[in-house]
Amino acid sequence: MRAVGTWGHLAFLVWAIVLGILAPGGRLLLVLGLVAVFSALFFQGGLRPIRRLEFWALVASAVLLSPFLIGEKDLFLCGLSLSRQGFWAGLWMALRALSVALAVGGFAYAVSVDEMAWLFEMAGLKGLGFAVGVAVNMLPTLEETARNAYDAMRLRGGFQRERLQTLRMLLVTVIVNALRRGDEVVEAAEARAFRPDGPRREPLPLGRADLILIAVLMALGVGLLAWP
Amino acid sequence: MKTRFTTRDLVYIAVFGALWGVLEITLGSYLHLIFPPVATPLVGVGTIMTAMGMVVALIGRLFVPKTGSVLMIGVVVAILKALSMGGVKLPAMLAIIIESLLAELGLILARRPNRGGFMLAGCLAVLWTFFHKFFASYVFLGRGIYDVYLGMLKEGSQALGIGMGYAVLIIVAFLLIRIVVGGLAGWVAWELGQEIRDQGLGIRD
Repeated sequence: MRAVGTWGHLAFLVWAIVLGILAPGGRLLLVLGLVAVFSALFFQGGLRPIRRLEFWALVASAVLLSPFLIGEKDLFLCGLSLSRQGFWAGLWMALRALSVALAVGGFAYAVSVDEMAWLFEMAGLKGLGFAVGVAVNMLPTLEETARNAYDAMRLRGGFQRERLQTLRMLLVTVIVNALRRGDEVVEAAEARAFRPDGPRREPLPLGRADLILIAVLMALGVGLLAWP
Repeated sequence: MKTRFTTRDLVYIAVFGALWGVLEITLGSYLHLIFPPVATPLVGVGTIMTAMGMVVALIGRLFVPKTGSVLMIGVVVAILKALSMGGVKLPAMLAIIIESLLAELGLILARRPNRGGFMLAGCLAVLWTFFHKFFASYVFLGRGIYDVYLGMLKEGSQALGIGMGYAVLIIVAFLLIRIVVGGLAGWVAWELGQEIRDQGLGIRD
């Protein structure tokens, strides 16, 4: 649902993290429920993290290991010494992790790299969007040149003796190649009359849906924290 | 407001951000899988990855000799980290940005790029890995700082083979290791940077 824009998504992420930190004990269940409802309503793709097996393994490990690692052992079950305090701490930890994971997954799904970079640019980091774009495009080239340089050195017996010296040569080679590639990008950008201080982009719009979502989130947040 | 960075600066920031990003996405993910935090109490994978990242970012500073360039490199890496495969990356992204900020602070304190400044920047950045454990455990997992402190003492005492009563010694060992690793990262960055400078690429005084 694109009615909610970047500001709404950002507010949702901040809200989930802040409430995840501040909400005491059982109210985390409410926070998690609200995060799940909002995620399902506004960015269903954001629910992808909870479909991953390793994510549930992480959550389960927090619940299962905490009774052994946290607090004093005050419970004996099937020959095992466990801590009730540890169990509850692990459970709240798992709920927090689940809330934050859902919110971050939703944010990453709903907000494009370009919008993310623009948020940083508005915080004063000018030219970041361009830098991120170039970096993303360079990743495959860098991996390939690094692998080629490594293979070339290995085939010449580079890593059999004087390993540190070879590693240093490998690093220098990779960086020099990357800079040469960077120089080509600079020439291409300048040939297209790109200027970092060129025409300003439109500010990210703050729509009615964003405002409504922010108001609802604030009311819910205050309610959850202030409720006796 | 006019941007302070030229097109060449931004491209070099992207180059060094991508280099650190490749390390984080490939080697970092791999090392985190092989060495879980419990297996490496004194020097975690985070410390090693921060040191390696700092080597790359500080070399980048030689090529973009402007305040804020290391922070920009860090932000590019954090965004690349968000795009990579895996679970929740928010703590790692925050750590990268804070470490870059601290490195920037070290470079500002050193006033002009030199070996000492690079070593100070590396030390400050890598030192964060000690405090990050407290910060991330409290903010993202809700664990009390005292619990984390006790866990750290326990791990440290086992690794060093001394009792938990030597708390100060254990904490000093944690900090000292990070200072040495960070200083080494700064030193390596300076040396490698000079070598690349000798290749005559894109260096402007």
